[in-house]
Amino acid sequence: MKPAAFDYARPGSLEEVVSILAGAGGDAKVLAGGQSLVPLLNFRMLRPAILVDINRVPGLSALEADGTGLRVGALTRHHTLETSRLVRARFPVLATAMAHVAHLAIRNRGTAGGSLSHADPAAELPMLALLLDAEIHTRSPAGSGRHAAGGFFLGPLVSALAEDEVVTEIVLPGLPPGTGWGFEEFAQRSGDFAIAAAAATVTLEGGRIAQARLALTGVDETPIRLAAVEADLVGARPGEALARAAAEHARTAVNPNSDLKASAEYRRRLVAALVARVLASAWARAGGGAPAPDGAAERDGAAERDGAAEPDREGSP
Amino acid sequence: MSDAPADPDALARGARPRSIGARIRRVEDPRLLTGHGSFTDDRIVPDALHVAFRRSDHAHALIRSVDVAAAAALPGVVAVLTAADLADLAPVRATSRMRDYHATAQAPLATGKVRYVGEPVVAVLAESRYLAEDALELVEIAFEGLGPVSDPEAAAREGATLLHEEAGTNVLARREFARGDVEAAMAQAPVRVGGRFRMHRKTPAAMENRSYLAEYDRGRRLLTLTSSTQIPGIVRDLLVELLDLPGHGVRVVAPDVGGGFGGKASLYQEEVLVAVLARRLGRPVRWTSDRLEDLISTSQGFDERVEAELGLDADGRILALRADVVGDVGAYSIYPWTAALEPVQVVSFLPGPYRVPAYRGRVRAVCTSKAPTGPYRGVGRPVSTFVMERLIDMAAGRLGLDPAEIRRRNLVRPDEFPYRTASGIVWDRSAFTESLAAVLEAADYAGLRAAQARARAEGRLVGIGLATYAELTGIGSRISAAPGMPINTGTEQTTIRLDSTGAVTAAFGVASHGQGLETTLAQVIADELGCRIEDVQILQGDSAAVAHGTGTYASRSAVLGGGAATLASRDLKAKLLRAASHLLEAGTDDLEARDGAIRVAGTDRAVTFRQVARAVYSEMGRLPKDAREELESTRVYDPFFGTATSATHLCLLEIDPATCRVRLDRLVVAEDCGRIINPMIVDGQVHGAVAQGIGAALYEEVVYDAGGQLLSASLADYVVPAASEVPPIDIVHLEAELPATVGGFRGMGEGGTIGAPAAIANALADALSPFGIAVTELPVTPERLFRLMAAARTPAASNPPKEPSSWISS
Repeated sequence: MKPAAFDYARPGSLEEVVSILAGAGGDAKVLAGGQSLVPLLNFRMLRPAILVDINRVPGLSALEADGTGLRVGALTRHHTLETSRLVRARFPVLATAMAHVAHLAIRNRGTAGGSLSHADPAAELPMLALLLDAEIHTRSPAGSGRHAAGGFFLGPLVSALAEDEVVTEIVLPGLPPGTGWGFEEFAQRSGDFAIAAAAATVTLEGGRIAQARLALTGVDETPIRLAAVEADLVGARPGEALARAAAEHARTAVNPNSDLKASAEYRRRLVAALVARVLASAWARAGGGAPAPDGAAERDGAAERDGAAEPDREGSP
Repeated sequence: MSDAPADPDALARGARPRSIGARIRRVEDPRLLTGHGSFTDDRIVPDALHVAFRRSDHAHALIRSVDVAAAAALPGVVAVLTAADLADLAPVRATSRMRDYHATAQAPLATGKVRYVGEPVVAVLAESRYLAEDALELVEIAFEGLGPVSDPEAAAREGATLLHEEAGTNVLARREFARGDVEAAMAQAPVRVGGRFRMHRKTPAAMENRSYLAEYDRGRRLLTLTSSTQIPGIVRDLLVELLDLPGHGVRVVAPDVGGGFGGKASLYQEEVLVAVLARRLGRPVRWTSDRLEDLISTSQGFDERVEAELGLDADGRILALRADVVGDVGAYSIYPWTAALEPVQVVSFLPGPYRVPAYRGRVRAVCTSKAPTGPYRGVGRPVSTFVMERLIDMAAGRLGLDPAEIRRRNLVRPDEFPYRTASGIVWDRSAFTESLAAVLEAADYAGLRAAQARARAEGRLVGIGLATYAELTGIGSRISAAPGMPINTGTEQTTIRLDSTGAVTAAFGVASHGQGLETTLAQVIADELGCRIEDVQILQGDSAAVAHGTGTYASRSAVLGGGAATLASRDLKAKLLRAASHLLEAGTDDLEARDGAIRVAGTDRAVTFRQVARAVYSEMGRLPKDAREELESTRVYDPFFGTATSATHLCLLEIDPATCRVRLDRLVVAEDCGRIINPMIVDGQVHGAVAQGIGAALYEEVVYDAGGQLLSASLADYVVPAASEVPPIDIVHLEAELPATVGGFRGMGEGGTIGAPAAIANALADALSPFGIAVTELPVTPERLFRLMAAARTPAASNPPKEPSSWISS
């Protein structure tokens, strides 16, 4: 399980990066965190002629908020998104979701730009980009480019990026006041790719839903938004019956694959369960009641159990 | 040693062991936890050649032709080998005296045909692993498919495609155990429960992949194999035979080994190949498995289908048990254990810790075009316990008895030991009934049932599961670890010596790969000899260290190694006391050894071990010539039969009806492993083994498709539980009665993996009992649970907004 031979470049500027990419004629791969790329190299499922390491390119690790929203540099590590005060304050749904990305060692290396470019159909960040209507900024020899997240994910491990194009920044537009959120993931094990995951934001005005966004991952060839379900929610008053109806709508709206872990029927059931739960969380948080701070209430029991399972506790009977 | 047992009077007398029984931290841990361990792949050998294998991507096919020319021409490639290049080497055959058994011939590289996906066909030797893997891509193999042999039941039928033509059958072994007239007893049983049970295939998935390094010293004619093996002695003996070398010309060293779980307890083709090539080329040759290779080629386990029926009287007392087991053993009968090891133990242990007056268990071990199976932690008993404990609970459900009560009525009682089981195993007294009682008390069983009733009233799916089992550990020479095997696994040897500086070194044939034997064996020696643990150095995992030793497997090392250590320490101590009696001018009866010194009891007159050693070895004249005995003892320990270890596991869990997620809330284990050398290590073994049992129950499954392709070929697809999937585990240690083993130790390294799957299966069945769902197949993955619940139309509509918090009041 060793990679085939490749060349390696570590340019110091974006201009050099895109020039090398252009020169390689599609036979280059960008190396950021390497957490998905390197295994593919080792399995020889990818055999690029050259790896372009962007870790020394300055200016790609910004994480800042302005009037329009949050700007996330392409080299921002998952762990930074998970723990940043800024992200927790403005996009707690993102911080919560990032805690579900693999394990800490991987989150310390994996990057936002890398995750979007890799376009794994069961990953969390692409779903969040879709949910939050992210704008993905890029650079190519032709200059700067922008992609709406809605058109960015084209298939399993396929994005809209051109061969000579690299992600530079992800811009998340700010959420309107009165917006609540929910995130739920079902993975067989803590840290695994989602068998199914759902995320929602709901904005309430006068007790009715003014805007709803609902995204899923793990249930199609790309992460998806459920526009029809969202449309049905707008104007309605939150409640258990509405959640059930939306869940049923979502269950029939999706067309999941079957694989080793889960059948399409089971994924549909998970979609229904997770959609009901993320909507209930979202409007509870939007409803003026005290939303759970920093997504603490969203963690599943596993995290709480960790502390209790101290293996060499003294004095066990 | 501040946490030694508090018995000041006994300590003052020097009569009671001081470190046995204490929670002493493992002496190997500072090394292992700070990255200073030395594993096979850590060994730096400058001019070693690296091997990479082209493995079969066909399940069962003739090898029509192999073209290695392009690969051999690649710069950096030293040699490319096929079976034809190793024709002078006899294939390995795991022989057995068992009737109706067929050994299989296994060469280091597939000869003539391939029998599973992953079987090595071509070996490339190159200056680096990278170059070797580049060359693999240039090898051209023409296969002619023979059709996979996937379903063991179909493969067992007359006329099935044969995997090994010379055997004339795919049924490599068959066996039957019987007691009484089971047909008559079953016919008269007013209550009968039964079913078809299935445990899916597992792989051990040790943290360290298999790794081998062979070096041949031409000048000394010495072949040294550094190997991540659990059985250095067995590998040495086999290599001596295979390569026709003298025993002292082959040394097999298992350095630090990162887990084995049985997967490193057999001989491997890669191991033989690196040894052969190093000798042939005169250059070191190494191979370290990558994870893909580990998942497709390390011995797998637990792949059985069991038809079983239990007959009981109206009071819930067992009258009869019958079972028909088909073990899918994979492509070869593994050396040295044979393909019979795992499936035969399913039927020999099926009656478990219960009184079963009439029994018939039949088993067939059937070869299929999958990776060979071998020993895996628990061997047979995780499956037999799963089946028997499910049957017991099914019977309880039918009779309206509490699962605890039906066990009380059937467990072998303290006054019935020694008890000969229906399959002929003899249980010495162990805490069968006591462990059940202890678990119920520790878990507050009555309180749990009340909490469960309340939770059920809210529509929650909560379950409580029990499993009691017994196993045979520390097996001596009277019983073969595997049926009919021509290798003695019933003895272990140690040599303990005081050198001329007074330091204690003890050499063993056991081979710790995570068990903490460097600590526990030192504890035994320190107590018996009267020195401190830090005075004792344990040498193990080296075939050159002792004349005979097989290794660490089958829950044997504390019993056999600890027994040999006890005997040799006593001999050595007697020699020390005799020498000291001259030096101190006191009778040996007046002497006591403690903390590395020998004292005249009740006085301050003492000599240290170092002083005694100097007097014996260096300071000539201090002792009469005849009193200078060598300060060394070699002893072999043979427990002859072995001893029963037993436990009861209790599992609490909840199923989320909306997502079919299983949340384990708590596990409680009450176990009897006799005299405990180190409770911290015993706890660790229970925790680790229970985690593997959780894997067997809920997560781990080797999946082959109908064409024999392995689908679970990564650790993303073969799902091993991590710390986050393991709930709190409470452990109660019991000592019903010390066994007759020297030292009173029982083996306990495997037990957690035996009890946990059955307890979890029973808890799942209990949680689903309102819907009449039978749990007969493990692992219960989310998908499987979804299908069970969908078939039974369990209500998912309640759809609670979140996963509920624990139903157990803490």
